[in-house]
Amino acid sequence: MAWIDVRHLTVRYPRAPRPALQDVSFQAERGETLLLLGPSGSGKSTLGLCLAGLIPDSVPAAMQGEVFIGGQNIANLSVGQRTAQVGIVFQDPEAQFCMLTVEDEVAFGLENMALPREEMGARIAESLRLVGLEERRRERVDRLSGGQKQRLALACALARRPSILFLDEPTANLDPAARFEFFQWLARLRAEQPETTIIIVEHILDDLIAMIDRVMLLSHEGRLVLSGAPAQVFQTNGEVLDEMGIWLPQVTALARKLRAAGLPLDHLPLTVDEAEEALAGILPRGPLPAEPPRRVQGVSAGGPPALEARRLSFRYRADAPEVLRDLSLTVPQGAFMALVGPNGAGKTTLALHFVDILRPPAGRVFLLGRDITELTTADITAQVGFVFQNPEHQFVERTVEAELAYSLRVRRRPESEIAQLTDALLASFGLTPYRKMNPFALSQGQKRRLSVATMLAVGQRILILDEPTFGQDRNTAHALMERLQTLHAAGVTILAITHDMQLVADYAGSAVAVVDGQVRFQGTPHALFANEELVAVAELRPPPLYQLARRFGLRYGDGTSPLSIREWMALLQGAPAAGGPAKRG
Amino acid sequence: MEGLLNYYAADSFIHRLNPTLKLAGIMALMVAVTMAFDPWTPLAFFLLGLFMLKVLARVPVRQFIRPLLLFVVLGALGFISANAFFYTPLPGRPVTILWQAGGVRIILEGIRVGISLTLRMLAIVTLSILFVSTTDPTDFVLSLIQQARFPFRLGYGILVAYRFLPLWRTELEIIRAAHRIRGAGERPTLRGRWEQLQRYAVPLLASAIRKSERVAIAMDSKAFGALPQRTYYRDVHVRPMDWAFLAGCVLAAAAIVWGMAQLGLLEGYGVVPEA
Repeated sequence: MAWIDVRHLTVRYPRAPRPALQDVSFQAERGETLLLLGPSGSGKSTLGLCLAGLIPDSVPAAMQGEVFIGGQNIANLSVGQRTAQVGIVFQDPEAQFCMLTVEDEVAFGLENMALPREEMGARIAESLRLVGLEERRRERVDRLSGGQKQRLALACALARRPSILFLDEPTANLDPAARFEFFQWLARLRAEQPETTIIIVEHILDDLIAMIDRVMLLSHEGRLVLSGAPAQVFQTNGEVLDEMGIWLPQVTALARKLRAAGLPLDHLPLTVDEAEEALAGILPRGPLPAEPPRRVQGVSAGGPPALEARRLSFRYRADAPEVLRDLSLTVPQGAFMALVGPNGAGKTTLALHFVDILRPPAGRVFLLGRDITELTTADITAQVGFVFQNPEHQFVERTVEAELAYSLRVRRRPESEIAQLTDALLASFGLTPYRKMNPFALSQGQKRRLSVATMLAVGQRILILDEPTFGQDRNTAHALMERLQTLHAAGVTILAITHDMQLVADYAGSAVAVVDGQVRFQGTPHALFANEELVAVAELRPPPLYQLARRFGLRYGDGTSPLSIREWMALLQGAPAAGGPAKRG
Repeated sequence: MEGLLNYYAADSFIHRLNPTLKLAGIMALMVAVTMAFDPWTPLAFFLLGLFMLKVLARVPVRQFIRPLLLFVVLGALGFISANAFFYTPLPGRPVTILWQAGGVRIILEGIRVGISLTLRMLAIVTLSILFVSTTDPTDFVLSLIQQARFPFRLGYGILVAYRFLPLWRTELEIIRAAHRIRGAGERPTLRGRWEQLQRYAVPLLASAIRKSERVAIAMDSKAFGALPQRTYYRDVHVRPMDWAFLAGCVLAAAAIVWGMAQLGLLEGYGVVPEA
């Protein structure tokens, strides 16, 4: 009998219109690593809560069907026995700890098992070693970086010696380098503990897919629609995956496009290694163009820069370290600029200076050539929109339509004009059917669209976005980026703070890397990724297609390499890559 | 963004005491001071508190001067002035009128009572500061659970809430910034403030509820409360020194009260000054 045996599991939350999971059945062996895919709201987290027996005990929900672990129906086990089988790592690094120091946090889960103290000490040391935090044993939890926190969460789970690990989007809040590192530790753990069954929910698969034995796909309705080896699932179910907005590994997405274009590829590669093998025969002969294709750079009005910081320094408190150190940056009008760098490097702090939320000294920050300290809040917000990472933070009204009208009402525009502008925004952002809904009741993708729309209501020409694609599936992220591209083509200047390397590779016209409060790089995305030393210090990850190009030694005349599917397609099909907006695969 | 009063991490004799017994000793002093109605006894307790805070616990003055000054001002404005004007003497006791105009008069005995009240309050505030600034919150809760049989579920709830306080402050600041960008200026009128509060409350509550649910599920996933008993990795010890501190506090309180009585300065404790 399989180690995990789930039979006809149906879960329904109180007052929910439909079940979160419907008739889900599957089995998993010891030591298997399963990847759980599905659009948001498809019940991925719910499945983890069921395995750990937290539904229906801790989370009220009606549950039908049975879950067997190690041959035992978990309904017949005590709460302690159930939770001992499954260790969970949750998505939010800020909301899964309850103690103040690393060792106390690991100890917490052991104290609950009433282990004797000597054994706790040994287990704490062991589990921290498994995630590389042994040196941080007495550190305060709030002093750890996001990546370290997630590794600590993993250690907390491991210390309890579960037979199953459920990792629920463990890297969603991490920067690219920290995500890669987390997966490295996970791979090491798999080698050291080959008996542990791992179930992982993830969206960005490039660095993860190599260690996955089996992929399971849940549909919008919470049904298990696909299950199989990764190659097989991605090979034959492209349409289903597209429809659900599942991110594919980029090399897989590229190979699909190539196959659709008639190139001979008998199986789809999942990793850069596999792609190197699969594409070896069909690579372009002859030299690449002298320069990478230029991205369309919007309508530049010329004139003063949209945003400018001159030798700006900043610290949050007199006794705190400097977050910005003598930083200078110019964002020209019509730019589509990506602002990248490690968490805590000062990207958001810098952006908040551009809207006077953090007040610079006179003569340091300029908006369209004018010193921002001489402008009123109304002047500034009429020019610049700022989209926060969490859209909910910005909502001030009770309906979608009032939300859009809000900034106009504050400015006392005539009601007829307000109605007209609101209708236009609703239509162009696909929000018309939801106009009477409460903004908090929208889906994640809709909330994001609404927050962007509200920032354009008074005709702002500059848009700053903090992690615009964070936590979104492929379809909503794609739609949003297309929207930004349209705005950009219409002359809006865009500055996006992001950890999304695909956004940088596919959309940004220029990139700026901020490290330790200073601009360490400003140039094209191609030049950014070609600078390997910088990529390391800025805690970035080169896009997989760039890695692949390097494997083949593909370089443009200027030494940079292709980053996007569009460029690769152009190279392999011999079509010109230049011009037009890049498309996402 | 520091609060008015915080734990001040340091290593001193007072810092190392067991939190529960430290609390008991300090409470003994507090109870003793509430029963003295003259100005001199509370003054002695106030000075004792300051001595323990500054010399024994080595807490720097800047750490506690703000709350202390706040209460000095409060005492002077509230207790002293109120009693000076509205003092009602015990029946058959003469009063000393310092100043009189129309129905308004200032009474010496009233000022004395006000000063006594203020000093009592200051003594209690100082002793509270002594406890708060020398006690690690985690140790305090663990000690309450281990030594005072405080329910552990409640104790950990308090710890989590404490851990989350700075997060809420950050969250509120982000929301304020986000709303300012919407052009929602902060209006100083009462109605404006009320509307603003409502607007901040919704996202803040939404996020608070979500985060606390997440933490609760994370704690449950580690079997919190699954067994009626749990063990503790970090033992909060009780040493002879802790009992000595408690005894010392009781003795000090007794000594002050006795000494004041000998000097004829004590009122309260059933001692009524001779007319």
